[in-house]
Amino acid sequence: MLSPTRRPPLIPFAIAFLALVGGCGGNGDSVVVGATTSLQDSGILEELIAAFEDNSGYEVRPVVAGTGQVLELAGRGELDITLTHSPADEALLIEAAETIERRTVMQNSFVLVGPKGDPAGVSSAGSLAEALAAVAAAEATFISRGDESGTHVRELSAWEAAGIVPGGNSWYQESGVGQGQNLVIASDKAAYALTDTATFIVLRDRLDLVAYFTDPDRPNVYSAMLVNPDKHPEVADEAARALLEFLVSAEGRRIIAEFGREEYGLPLFELPSPD
Amino acid sequence: MDLIWDGITEAFRLIFTGDGYVFDITLLSLLVSGGATLVALVIGLTVASVLAFRAPPGRTMALSVFNAGMALPPVAVGLLVAIMLWRSGPLGQLHLLYTPGAIVAAQAVIATPVITAISAAGLQGVPPRLRLQVLALGASRWQAMLLLFREARLSLLAALIAGFGAAISEVGATMMVGGNIKGSTRTLTSAIVLEVQQGDFETAIALSFILLTVVFVVIGAFTAVQQRRPAS
Repeated sequence: MLSPTRRPPLIPFAIAFLALVGGCGGNGDSVVVGATTSLQDSGILEELIAAFEDNSGYEVRPVVAGTGQVLELAGRGELDITLTHSPADEALLIEAAETIERRTVMQNSFVLVGPKGDPAGVSSAGSLAEALAAVAAAEATFISRGDESGTHVRELSAWEAAGIVPGGNSWYQESGVGQGQNLVIASDKAAYALTDTATFIVLRDRLDLVAYFTDPDRPNVYSAMLVNPDKHPEVADEAARALLEFLVSAEGRRIIAEFGREEYGLPLFELPSPD
Repeated sequence: MDLIWDGITEAFRLIFTGDGYVFDITLLSLLVSGGATLVALVIGLTVASVLAFRAPPGRTMALSVFNAGMALPPVAVGLLVAIMLWRSGPLGQLHLLYTPGAIVAAQAVIATPVITAISAAGLQGVPPRLRLQVLALGASRWQAMLLLFREARLSLLAALIAGFGAAISEVGATMMVGGNIKGSTRTLTSAIVLEVQQGDFETAIALSFILLTVVFVVIGAFTAVQQRRPAS
């Protein structure tokens, strides 16, 4: 027997879907921040965002990617504010007026880590370029981020200063992953890698790696920039400004200066030296 | 191997202590992938019915496209959906990027060809004269369709299972359009990726185990429905 006319329940499905999508849609009180993987992997991004959300009532959507990708998205107006660590690339965006109001937020150091025993002997080097030259001379495995992140950019500039083209050598491998996972790979392969002090300290218990050399020439500086609302009228300018002000406010600076002290016995980031 | 046992132990601890974070991401995974599967089911069944019963010109070509669509690379889908949803993209006004709605859209794009292709194959397996006979016996078009769906029940549920499986196990597109935001767009799969990135393999294995359990329960329920004898 056929049952009386029964329509497939298309309409309830459609309503449920629209409700789901509608309920998930964006609103004007959110701000999209593009941040680098090292900030996520060290945990400070989450803490800063939570404090800002409590203080301001704005909702933050972090997009975590390498500095190269973050700056590319910012130049297209797809983000509201950036938090990255590649000063030369940031300067290019400011010059092109895609972003405005660059403010240094915090810094730490680039550090060269490697397997126990320091087989390449990098610890006695005088500069990052010299340390990398020692890695190349020993043909010790080196895991590069290879993703145009701030760390990768710093690494490339040091190779250049050393007059070495590392690409194409079997000991030089490009991972294409974030700061934390890059260290996990380096640890697994007993390889050298360039990283930042914060990510290394947070992950060091899980790694078979030792920090041998701290870059004495260039601190690892994190800066925030607003995406220019004159060029990209769709940005959430007000919310982005509020976040920028928060990052350099007394409260923001206190969180940065204290971050990691309790758990790791030392702060993972320093406040920027006054401009 | 120790790591796997530790991970499974951790999974049980997370489940039985009612860990809020794990509960939230599990619920989000189910809602988002369930929503995407529903969307894909509505579109897929409609298209499959038209292809199977109406035999429009170019049917073989269309079926080839949907069959090939079962191998759509999720990362490519994610990239395309993300560009559509960019502020500068055609659907930017929806403000869906980095929200669960964006993940529903991306997963629906991935699941739709799967459901369409398998449903179409199943519906084509129903003897074509059956539809005409039922209509001749005075059934309305909806009644005829329901009856044919019932005939092709095994294939249609296989399509539903494959579509849901493709959606809930997906991570490339999910992260690209969702952004892996804690408390908003972090699903079980993207949480696993994050834990691996940060070297916390134990938690990653625990979450993987929870994902497998969820998939087994949901798909087990679908399979039970599929294998039930129809009430006569």
